[in-house]
Amino acid sequence: MPISNIKKVFVEEGANRYAPTAEILNSLSGVSVQNVKGGKPWAAPDESNLGKDILHLLSFKGQFLKPCPGTREYICCGYQILNVATNCPLDCSYCILQSYFNKPNLRVFVNIEEEIENVLDVIDSNPNRVFRVGTGEFTDSLAIDPITHLSDFLLPLFSKRKNAILELKTKTTMINRLLDLKERDRIIVSWSLNSPYITAREEHKAASLEKRLEAARICQSEGFTLGFHFDPLIPHPNWKDEYLKTLDLLDKYIDPKGIIWISLGSFRYMPALKPVIMKRHPKTCVLDGEFIMGLDGKMRYFKPIRIGLYAFMRENLEKWHRNSGLYLCMESNDVWQQSMSWSPGNSMGLRQFLDDRVLEFFQ
Amino acid sequence: MLFPDKLLLLAANLKQVIVQVEMTKVDIQKIIELTPRIVNIATIDESKDPYCMSFGFDPGLLVQSIKKIGLINSPLLVEEEKGNFTIIAGYRRIKAIKSLGWTRIPCRVLPESGISSLECLLINLHDNLATREFNEMEKAMVVNRLALHLPKTEILKNYMPLLNLPSNEAALQLLLRLENELDNDTRHHIAGGRITVKAIKMLIDMDDEDREHVIRLIIDLKLNTNYQKQLIDYIVDLSRINNVSITELIKDRKIEAICSDMKMNNPQKAGALMNYLRGKRFPTLIMAEKSFEKKVLSLGLPKGIKITAPPYFEAPGYRLGITFREGKDLKEKIDLLSRLDGIEDLDDPWKKDL
Repeated sequence: MPISNIKKVFVEEGANRYAPTAEILNSLSGVSVQNVKGGKPWAAPDESNLGKDILHLLSFKGQFLKPCPGTREYICCGYQILNVATNCPLDCSYCILQSYFNKPNLRVFVNIEEEIENVLDVIDSNPNRVFRVGTGEFTDSLAIDPITHLSDFLLPLFSKRKNAILELKTKTTMINRLLDLKERDRIIVSWSLNSPYITAREEHKAASLEKRLEAARICQSEGFTLGFHFDPLIPHPNWKDEYLKTLDLLDKYIDPKGIIWISLGSFRYMPALKPVIMKRHPKTCVLDGEFIMGLDGKMRYFKPIRIGLYAFMRENLEKWHRNSGLYLCMESNDVWQQSMSWSPGNSMGLRQFLDDRVLEFFQ
Repeated sequence: MLFPDKLLLLAANLKQVIVQVEMTKVDIQKIIELTPRIVNIATIDESKDPYCMSFGFDPGLLVQSIKKIGLINSPLLVEEEKGNFTIIAGYRRIKAIKSLGWTRIPCRVLPESGISSLECLLINLHDNLATREFNEMEKAMVVNRLALHLPKTEILKNYMPLLNLPSNEAALQLLLRLENELDNDTRHHIAGGRITVKAIKMLIDMDDEDREHVIRLIIDLKLNTNYQKQLIDYIVDLSRINNVSITELIKDRKIEAICSDMKMNNPQKAGALMNYLRGKRFPTLIMAEKSFEKKVLSLGLPKGIKITAPPYFEAPGYRLGITFREGKDLKEKIDLLSRLDGIEDLDDPWKKDL
């Protein structure tokens, strides 16, 4: 498991006064610990692994709850990110985090218990709004759960709120702590899925598809609502057959009626990511497609290629189950229309669609 | 013979050196006041160039000048053991004088014991900075020489800005590699501005043979900055996607035909090459563009009416442009447009054709 690769822990000045620091250090006995001052380059990041084997405990000064950094040029789902940590122990070749953050190491924000009150205040003071909150944008929070025990802390807080859900998105099988908790209501456990080809070649250190889906099956049988995310979809040799294999596995392991949503997104990246990927993953196939500059400045597949990917996935997912909350991540109205045969029209429309799914599943 | 203004400038720069490195050993005034002495040119060792920061220059004008009015400003040397001399400042002048066949040259000479290597280097750096711009290879030489004496942090903080370079590790690393890892021809192309540093940054990790072929193509077709970057982007991608070496890719028959086509000039060849590579890299996009163009052409739009697609068809909708002189003209054009056969079939090209 990737988290067992931690070789060193940095404890930033001030982090010791937060309870999670001691708990985390206890769970990592034998690992070298160094107290460091904030704001300094404690060690030059190893370009080859971006400090994935260094756990960095610190107090985060920014906002813990932030809207997903969507752009107005494309339809955004209005997700809220609970910023519990940054960077990830997994090493997917396509990961945007490789160039997104300018600070290396697995950075865990140990002041979450103190700051969560502010997050809950925002949620509680907007009772008519549905907060779809996730921890999986800037890290894989379940991958680090065995040492952070974040789910123990977060699940009770979100489970009892009537206008929020918490989605824990992962590519791992780290579900044991979840299963030991009693909370099920308003908790969604989600897995990122891809074709077996992409999973094997590009999702380094992540669990195999079968293992992910077995973990999902267990969660479903234990009463959790599930989500799935086919993001990033990547055309590659025999991509249709390969994605069908994943859908076959999905059918084998999962009851579709317990899925709140399935998102589809195609690979997109800021131009600065390309040289990083080429250097860190020279054998990758993720840069092979026909990328054009999107309206948001990110590189994305030429429109008919995206439409082809989505239409294929939609057709086959709908053959499996007609009501799985299928939606597109960061796409334009015409791509929605041409691939899904309907469109929420704008970001408000998509938010409503997903909020309605929440209401349908949890009330 | 020294021009007073040049002397003052040199003095001012040398004083700046004193401040910057806290030189205590060198009395700049003494350097300025040194009486030139005649040195046998054969005793000046040019092969040792620890302070040299001249590369890829054309000595023609300097040779002419010295030929016409003599040497105005005498080079500064440091005397080593056994009566040999190393150049501190004046590398180009000595080159020019040698090419004129002089055997003796007036120089200001410092004893080796009186000055450190770093001080020599900084004197030459500031002397050059005041009078000319460094080319990219010369900047690499400066940085490489400084790196022998100073920590990277100091080079980044104090010297990269002085050379008009960004103060970041990646830029510094690239400069360190330029002098040490590239062949002489390539270094001359960089010095001459025929290959951009951006292009070299993309090429430096390439296999030597592949890099040589790309550089040959850039030089032969005199590609501009944008085309250099585009070319490298395309061929690196195509090589990776098709699993063929860059050398093999460049030996493609079509590319060779474009390069040797006597009917085209260089800009035309460069355009043809880019179109060819773009077509190979973006087949679906190019097919869509061609299909759309064909469809628009088939409409037979009246003069002054244009229909265009957004870049890469990414933004929603298409653009209709009408040029008109007055309202009557506009109305006529709109009428004509509304009666055009096939206009209602205009749609995203991939819907029918792809």
